Amino acid sequence: MAFSGALTLTDLNDFISPSQACIKPVEQTNGKPKQEEYVGAKTEIVVDSTGSYYEVSSGSVELNTTTLPSRVNNEISGTKLEQAQISLNDCLACSGCITSAESVLITLQSHTEVFTFLEHNQDACDDTKKLPVLSIAPQSLASLATALSASLSSSSTSSSSPITPLQVLRRVTTFCNSIGFPHVVDITFARHLALQEHVLEFEERKERDSKGGQDAQGALPMLASACPGWICYAEKAHAEMLPFVATTKSPQQVMGTLVKEWLGTRMGLTPDKVYHVSVMPCYDKKLEASRQDFYNDVYSTRDVDCVITTGELELMMKERGWDLSVPVPGELDEDISFGSLPQSLVNSNADDIRFPELLQHPGSSSGSYLHSIIFHLQRKSDVPLTLTSKVMRNSDYEEFLLTTPTGKIAFKGAKCYGFRNLQNVVRKVGRERGVRTAGGAAGRMAGRATGGGIRDRMKRKAGAATNGAGPEENADDKGYDYVEVMACPGGCVNGGGQLKPILPKNGNQTSTLGTSGAAGTSVDAEGYPRDWEQNGGGTGTGTDTVQTQSGVVMNAKWGDKDWTGKVEVTYWLTGEPSSLSSAISGSGSSQGGGMAWADEMAVRVLTEMCGSDDDEGVKTRRRLFRTEYHAVQSDVGNGLAVKW
Amino acid sequence: MEGSSSSGSDPAFKSSQTIHTEHLKTVRAVAWSPAGKTLATASFDSNVGIWEQERDDDADEDGGEDGEAGLGNGEWECIGTLEGHETECKSVAYSASGTLLASCSRDKSVWIWEVQPDAEFECMGVLLEHSQDVKCVAWHPQEEILASGSYDDTIKLYVDDPSDDWYCFTTLKGHDSTVWSLAWSPCGRYLASASDDKTLRIWAYADISATAAENAGEKNNKVLQVKPPSALTSGQGDGRWVQVSVVEDAERSLYSVSWGKGKSGGLGWVASVGGDGTLRVYDIQEDPSSVALKPKLIASIPDAHGVYDVNGVSWNPRQGFEDVLATVGDDGSVKIWRVDSEKR
Repeated sequence: MAFSGALTLTDLNDFISPSQACIKPVEQTNGKPKQEEYVGAKTEIVVDSTGSYYEVSSGSVELNTTTLPSRVNNEISGTKLEQAQISLNDCLACSGCITSAESVLITLQSHTEVFTFLEHNQDACDDTKKLPVLSIAPQSLASLATALSASLSSSSTSSSSPITPLQVLRRVTTFCNSIGFPHVVDITFARHLALQEHVLEFEERKERDSKGGQDAQGALPMLASACPGWICYAEKAHAEMLPFVATTKSPQQVMGTLVKEWLGTRMGLTPDKVYHVSVMPCYDKKLEASRQDFYNDVYSTRDVDCVITTGELELMMKERGWDLSVPVPGELDEDISFGSLPQSLVNSNADDIRFPELLQHPGSSSGSYLHSIIFHLQRKSDVPLTLTSKVMRNSDYEEFLLTTPTGKIAFKGAKCYGFRNLQNVVRKVGRERGVRTAGGAAGRMAGRATGGGIRDRMKRKAGAATNGAGPEENADDKGYDYVEVMACPGGCVNGGGQLKPILPKNGNQTSTLGTSGAAGTSVDAEGYPRDWEQNGGGTGTGTDTVQTQSGVVMNAKWGDKDWTGKVEVTYWLTGEPSSLSSAISGSGSSQGGGMAWADEMAVRVLTEMCGSDDDEGVKTRRRLFRTEYHAVQSDVGNGLAVKW
Repeated sequence: MEGSSSSGSDPAFKSSQTIHTEHLKTVRAVAWSPAGKTLATASFDSNVGIWEQERDDDADEDGGEDGEAGLGNGEWECIGTLEGHETECKSVAYSASGTLLASCSRDKSVWIWEVQPDAEFECMGVLLEHSQDVKCVAWHPQEEILASGSYDDTIKLYVDDPSDDWYCFTTLKGHDSTVWSLAWSPCGRYLASASDDKTLRIWAYADISATAAENAGEKNNKVLQVKPPSALTSGQGDGRWVQVSVVEDAERSLYSVSWGKGKSGGLGWVASVGGDGTLRVYDIQEDPSSVALKPKLIASIPDAHGVYDVNGVSWNPRQGFEDVLATVGDDGSVKIWRVDSEKR
């Protein structure tokens, strides 16, 4: 169990247990309640033998309580009450109980839930049968591939080339096909659409910002919106940041829209007739999928029905006895997504619709949100813009500058991963944009009327310094235009749902990916010297080092830097060896046939979903690809339980 | 040991000023910066307030040089608020250099902030190591080492990994109940802890090899100077943390411990207070033949605040006043005490 640090911190609460306050009121659906009868009268709640609850007026009850059941059954005087049911979605209203009840919540979106669905779906009649679709994140593929390479190199003496995410995708697809998912897609095409929308939104915000005035409030810096840990944290603890958070949906939710609205429609299926499972490197994504904003009221269905983590997918394969280390036929074949553009696919109206596969958006392994904006600005700029970057305190906090030939700063962005850096960005943005960093005492204290105070003197000092520097902005003074915020240190490759690190045997921690397996010479017959139970989704114990039977030391601490580095390298692996360096350095040159296909496909999808570029089309596009955020009231003000 | 009013040579105390913090809830703890110019408040409203006194223009040149806070009539104002804790903030502390500030909370986290110019703070770490409510934080008097005590009965020690974040390098286990208060010895080689299990314990980083430990009392065992461990080796070199003393004098929970230089040399004086209402002062001297310490009770004041619990104790840090300490009790009063050297 590992929600991101940001999420767990906001939810840490050692005494709140699920209570009345957690439960959404039951909606009254039974027409007009006969309120007149009860005005002024006392009512009682009565439970009958079947466990149903009835509200009866106490006047009629006192006649003879023993006759109650029959009269209730005749529905003479009682009103049957609906039973309150709490689902994951209801709990999101406060999220105060997540730490204590997380195991309960997680069972609602788990691999067993997926198996249960598949079982029921198989036997379902045509009316209720659903089309299972599985989408998988590239970070999950990278995690699985890294684990495979590591266990292969530790269990065999021969040197083998590392397993690529594409190979894993092929193997996972074969597995998923075998258990009943006819459609398995990776999520990068949805990310392609999300990035396009993201860039569009950045342009919109930039324009708002340049106009100034009221409109410019909260326009820039734009903050990334793909990380649900960050979103939950901002909604709960930093409502003042919400206007800055991009409203563009995350790739997972764009994929949800694609699968349910586009793919489904093309196949003649309504959204509720598609069951969409998403494999993610992140537990927090389960909460994202459950958001009310992604619920389709008309068809009573979610864009993503179930989110499982990388670890849970691995557990599924284990339970079905699937060995991911065994190659599947054709897995090394040159894929069409990297080859020439297959016109037949682009234009075909066939049911077998394929999305471009494993698109590599250069920049970061957490989705390249910042870099897609940087590359966009460079492309459309009239003058060449030079990109420079500076590592701040650590590699998880990096600043990027675009400068014109005359030295003017055209753009300042940052990538900021991990809870600690996230804190500092929130403070920095709050300071730069003059928004209160939070409710509570901060605002009041800062607002104290103490004329000529220290703070004022400091401001004057700062003002003087700026004036002295002349009108030209310097890099330190300029505020951010964009920040790629992620809650996990190391970003999504180090998500809480990823596989635990596999360390080589003999405690040799320096062995790296792809080295000849000198560290561990004993061959494990299983080929999988790993403790599967420990890697499983909800059952992991946390941070202890586990010595497995096979002798492989598993450092179960989530966030092992060395391991994260390996997953990062694997993430950028393609069949083509040369692509590695260019992708990481972010030169943006690896725009092969896959990208061209993706661009064409994107145009096609957008046209089919949103129609033309008129007002109606823009509205539809916003509805399909944007979302909104909701500040959650903090409970700090309510001091019922004081604990010293 | 006697009350403050009895002797003419004793310092006089008066209430200088009241700061209306506008914290939403109780202020649980305060901490001075080493320079004495800045005050940090830890409040149950989950925030840490940072306060500085507005200097009167006339008083500008006074007080600053001799290291004393020029407590004039200037208004105390909030120059910053550190937010991040989700629930009640329980304790706050400045590092010896004044460049770092730590706070802890019922949300089980310990936060470390870097003090920057112009009343800015940068978050350096959020440490989610304890499994329960964190009650107190205490910085090492020389090194940048932080200790925290918790409702999970443990004490944890943290250092900065220069290439990465702060991390916990040692967990001290021994107390059977909540660790309420921590105090480093002035020399920095010992750490005292006061607990709900009615014990006062002293911990040290000692050079005890596994074999030497079996022959306790061997002369080559020695308590080492605590240095931040290397980031590369999560171990700590030759030594290990051991419990060098357990004092079981208290009849009820101990709430607070303070370790001052004292006036009889050695390791100084340790004062403890708690639920039994008794203020106890121990003289701590090292024993050359053993790493174990035998604190000597040199003063014991029952009912220090009448029938009330005594919640806090603190030695006067000023030179020449090493025998003066203050206590706070549930009766709402602050009492100042001097250790009477003649009766000792």
